[in-house]
Amino acid sequence: MSASGSQTVPALRCQGVVKRFGALTALAGLSLEVPEGAFFGLLGPNGAGKTTLIRGAVGLTRLDSGSIEVFGLPVSGTTAARTRTMLGYAPQEVALDRFVPVREALVLHGRYFGMTRRDAAARSDEMLRVFDLADRADSYANELSGGMRRRLHLARALVHGPQLVILDEPTAGVDIELRRDLWEYIRRLHADGTTILLTTHYLEEAEALCERVAFIRDGTIAAEGTPPLLREQFGAGRLEEVYLRLVGR
Amino acid sequence: MTARAAHGGELRRVQWRGMGALAERETLRVLRLWKQTLIPQILVAVLFIVVFGIALGERINDIDGVPYEQFIVPGLVLMGVATAAFANNGTSIYQARSDGFIEDPVSSPMTPGQLLSGYLSGGVLRSALIGAGILLAARVFVAFPIENVAITLAALTAAALAFASLGTVVGLYARGWEHQNFVGNILIQPLVFLGGVFYSVDDLSEPWRTLTQFDPIYYLVATTRKGMLGSSGVALGLSMGITLGLAALMLAWAYVSVRRGVGIRT
Repeated sequence: MSASGSQTVPALRCQGVVKRFGALTALAGLSLEVPEGAFFGLLGPNGAGKTTLIRGAVGLTRLDSGSIEVFGLPVSGTTAARTRTMLGYAPQEVALDRFVPVREALVLHGRYFGMTRRDAAARSDEMLRVFDLADRADSYANELSGGMRRRLHLARALVHGPQLVILDEPTAGVDIELRRDLWEYIRRLHADGTTILLTTHYLEEAEALCERVAFIRDGTIAAEGTPPLLREQFGAGRLEEVYLRLVGR
Repeated sequence: MTARAAHGGELRRVQWRGMGALAERETLRVLRLWKQTLIPQILVAVLFIVVFGIALGERINDIDGVPYEQFIVPGLVLMGVATAAFANNGTSIYQARSDGFIEDPVSSPMTPGQLLSGYLSGGVLRSALIGAGILLAARVFVAFPIENVAITLAALTAAALAFASLGTVVGLYARGWEHQNFVGNILIQPLVFLGGVFYSVDDLSEPWRTLTQFDPIYYLVATTRKGMLGSSGVALGLSMGITLGLAALMLAWAYVSVRRGVGIRT
């Protein structure tokens, strides 16, 4: 059963999405479906439109035309608030509230998304354990290392138990050890039934994690499928080769 | 796993909880940073009372039958309330935008009105604490009445809402700290000083007397003075009308800005 009451609607459905910033067309009629329960990778070069699309899904970018639905509900208009209760979003840039300690930041996030104080506190403690931050619960974000900040940033997106988690380049600029740790956290989350939409520059990351990927280029989907299917279609050994052929190199 | 979105009464509870959390975050920020958010403005007001009221006040004649040190207290309270409300919301919102963490509450299920209410709560609380602090501190040096508590509270609450809303708007539109400082220092501060805090507008010569009547803060000061001292030189209906109208106008501007996602949504 889906949010709208019908059977098996996709977790995310984008149809003919257009977004322009002045003369620049960031999204040029993009259509995409992320099935419920999928681990989906959205890949593409800088400026391809990945971040614009996912910011549109969480209500931080207004579309010029087209529609985005989360579990069958439009993300704009009267159902916008309902869709946001089901979404968790970790932006590319780590942006943490410097005025509250780590645990309180997590509790506040849970409460922003409607959890009771008690539930948010219990869930925050769980997140602190899962993300190895329990001993820094009373520290402020600016007292944490870069890796800890990245973990806290991801933990915050998950506090309210979203059904669709959107991660915008969660491992950009992190060392190999932390990247592996983050992969492990994300895999566990997916194993628990959460739909994951991941954008990444690292094609080996998409290959290792994603069941299905879409290449976005010039604001549209250039290719989509499972990694084995795409490799076969393009006669490539790795997704990196698929990507290079798509960009004409 | 089945997808389930909150709706109806459950969604409303979710949204109100969000607003409560944001209001708590904003008020905790004010209380935790008390050395920055509360003490300086109370100290400045007390220094004005000591220097202008006590030290120089004896050389200044009564104004409208009120001793000078008493005359300046309502304006100083209003000045503290207004500048604190503006600074609080401008700073808090611009900081959250600049650091990026404003996207956390903005992408939550809260309505624009709830987001605005959450942010305004910090400015209103800070104003209330500063207003009370100035009144208490002034009482040490000056005996002053509060003739009508309701009018006084209405004027100060409207001022707090008006300037917290203006701070919200500036915090949303600002592209740098200098924009915010510009509005605070070049617009609000002069309007406050020229709004009759330290003198009676009746004592001014033309064109200054007429020009002052275009300063909205003049009416906020007059309403506060009417509430505290019982007279102000401006008809209560006019000054209260402009005071409440200014608050309504600024609230509407802030609401429209938040709803349109100015500075937040692209």
